[in-house]
Amino acid sequence: MAENYLLEMENIDKTFGTTKALDGVNLQIKRGEIHGLLGGNGAGKTTLMNVLYGLYKNDSGTIKINGEAVRILSPKNAIDHGIGMVHQQFLQVTNFTVAENIVIGTKPKSYPLMNLDEEIKTILALADRFGLPVTPTATISDLPLGVRQRVEIIKALYRGVKILVLDEPTTNLTPQEVDALFSSLRLMVNEGLSVIFITHKLREVLEVCDRISVLRHGKNVLTMDRADASEEAFVKAMVGEDLNVENSILYADQGLNEKLSNIGEEIVLEVKNLTVGMDEVPVVKDVSFSLRKGEILGVAGISGNGQLELLEAILGLRDIKEGTISLAGEEITNLETHKLLQRSISYVPEDRWQDGLLSLATVEQNLILGLHRQEPYSDGRLLKRSSITEKATALIDTFNIKTEGPHDTAGNLSGGNIQRLLLARSFSQAVDLILLHNPTRGLDIPSIESIYSLILERKDLGMATLLVSENLDELFLMSNHLIVFCNGEIMGRLKRSEFDKYSVGSMMSGIRQGEE
Amino acid sequence: MKKTRAFKPSTLGKQILPYLLAVLAAFIAAGIFLWLMGFNVLQAYQTILFTSFKSRNGFIQTLLKFIPLVLTALAFTIPMKASKFNIGSEGQLIFGAIGATATGIMFADLPALALIPLILFVGMICGALWALIPAWLLYRFNVSEILSTVLMNFISFSVLDYIATEVWRDPLAGHPTTIPISESGRLPLLVSSPPLHSGLLIVILVAVLVYIYTDYTSAGYELVATGANPKAAKVFGINTKILFLLALVLGGSMAGLAGAIEVAGKHHRLIEGMQSNFMALGIIIGLLSKGNHGVVPFVAFFIAMLEVGANAMQRTMAIPIEMVFIVEALILIFTLLSDTRKK
Repeated sequence: MAENYLLEMENIDKTFGTTKALDGVNLQIKRGEIHGLLGGNGAGKTTLMNVLYGLYKNDSGTIKINGEAVRILSPKNAIDHGIGMVHQQFLQVTNFTVAENIVIGTKPKSYPLMNLDEEIKTILALADRFGLPVTPTATISDLPLGVRQRVEIIKALYRGVKILVLDEPTTNLTPQEVDALFSSLRLMVNEGLSVIFITHKLREVLEVCDRISVLRHGKNVLTMDRADASEEAFVKAMVGEDLNVENSILYADQGLNEKLSNIGEEIVLEVKNLTVGMDEVPVVKDVSFSLRKGEILGVAGISGNGQLELLEAILGLRDIKEGTISLAGEEITNLETHKLLQRSISYVPEDRWQDGLLSLATVEQNLILGLHRQEPYSDGRLLKRSSITEKATALIDTFNIKTEGPHDTAGNLSGGNIQRLLLARSFSQAVDLILLHNPTRGLDIPSIESIYSLILERKDLGMATLLVSENLDELFLMSNHLIVFCNGEIMGRLKRSEFDKYSVGSMMSGIRQGEE
Repeated sequence: MKKTRAFKPSTLGKQILPYLLAVLAAFIAAGIFLWLMGFNVLQAYQTILFTSFKSRNGFIQTLLKFIPLVLTALAFTIPMKASKFNIGSEGQLIFGAIGATATGIMFADLPALALIPLILFVGMICGALWALIPAWLLYRFNVSEILSTVLMNFISFSVLDYIATEVWRDPLAGHPTTIPISESGRLPLLVSSPPLHSGLLIVILVAVLVYIYTDYTSAGYELVATGANPKAAKVFGINTKILFLLALVLGGSMAGLAGAIEVAGKHHRLIEGMQSNFMALGIIIGLLSKGNHGVVPFVAFFIAMLEVGANAMQRTMAIPIEMVFIVEALILIFTLLSDTRKK
């Protein structure tokens, strides 16, 4: 054999029910490389890594480490073989300290006591060596997501892993934090570790990886050295024939400037000095902005900095302490939610499963939520069941929702289809204002593409969109203006011509515009 | 998409099949025990399944069981639609019966045309009020309705005892019982021998109305949406807190009506123990029908049939009646199992 691989996965198959999640997938990882595992949602990236980490058992195929076949039946097994994984959702005990979370499940030197002085020294040494600053005595629940991620990485390193798998690690990070993470990864591979970096974000992969493998529909598409690769080759590999790259919105970059330029005069939404309080601490502080007809206003910020509360306040779901909200010149502060939904606002919440989906109800019942007292779904009192089914069938078709039909249970749908369902609901009627919160998170590229074109369609019809997102690429692509949130306050406002990753990043971490 | 229609029969079959298998499995499992205990399994099952249809008496007995069972099932399923659990239909039934009895005794002079509706109405209101207490505790203080509805049952037992032994005690009865209600407060009979009262028609009407409410109205949709995911329902403008309260109170009124019909149709007085095991069976019916109001009456009839069959089995074969509880519990367990298997 010419190459000496650290890890080889050969012909891995995995079937869930009738879906073939992995179909003869191969993956080779060299010692000391950052290997990008790229693919859209549902391509099988996470499934493949869960097989490697012993969370799923593969139906067939072999895993070799240093050329020797191994059987990995559990995460403990995986760690014994030197494989560590940092999941998208951190598995941490939030009321334990950093050090406790790192050593959890291992035997401390002072066993049976829990004196962690020795371990803390090791942790600090690791943190220093790889540029992952943490405070071992801090409690997890007090820490921002970026730090909690460092804790997860150190937890893997502490167990002496040789291969570190990171599942979508940049989702909740500012650009600055992403850069810091990437330089830490570089330090790790320089010391001989290997890193597998799962992502659907092409630009990140190109920035940091040495080699890249692309999966699509559970199959290998290609593996290439970074040096040999062009961006377009990867886009084609990821999306296949499903997308016309030349006409794509997603890869249009500057091409949208013109499309976005026509904004109306009329103000649709005006928020003035809005303060929203949860108990005593305000979560939205003195926020003012306005939104015109046909405008897309982006709201940037790290998750949990008041964006959700802002949206819920507009929708009348939060008690407003101070300030006013007006819609089309009429004050709607603290108006009842159902009236707002019937009149003129539609909403796609961030937490689809919790806030958006009636998982136990049928697809058609989901499609009428909030609209269930108005035409064409109801005469106000009685439901028009045949008209509901008819409209639902049409929406399923238009929005390409993969389901058995309008009477299928919504909870059976896959993540991408759930999002399409929620979008179908909020785009099914003409409104003045569309509130979108992370509308494309976790979706594959063709779906993202179709959502963007839907948003642009609505924009052309004169609807205003408030687009709250943690994905800066998305905001830069789609917004006319941008406001940046941190701790419930607006840190800065930018015009489209002023968009810049690093200045937005520093505002996201709490530095006011022009303060630097 | 005309396809969906063509699909229906097969999906209906798919939906019913797990139930049939669950029932079959439950009978087989229970049969093993009966066989080990030395009973004639076939004969026992024949008795259970066919008593209701072998004689006029058996059929009417089944319908008499069916009447309160549909209502206690609805007392459970209406709140269940909104993801709330009413384990208090026993107490609500008793309060409905108390209200009905009190009305039937105190307004004895009213003509039947006025008294009967009044009795039924007061019974519903009393059941609803008895459910309002836990519902309000939930609304105001977020007290779990599961606990509070159960506890309210115990209070109702004592109140019933007090009324049947102190307020309107029937001195001739050896058991805590009140004096009978006025003749004009009794439900007319559909069949005189063996007696079958017209509560049956009321129950069928109510079951249809509830089905229309939950499945064909916008207000009912809000109940279903709340049950499917209260958080999302709230985000999309449904006042879920009020609906929780409303659902429990409506459920209470169903149980209250059951109590009133038992008094006005069957006992004509308040009797200690009249709540029988209607609550437990109502919950089983509700769970088996998964809150689908289109099937509640049918499941209720099936369970009523098992109950009547079980009585006969005990009489003729000396098999303990508890055997049927075991079968019912097994059906429930197997049905729930088949649900998890589907996932």
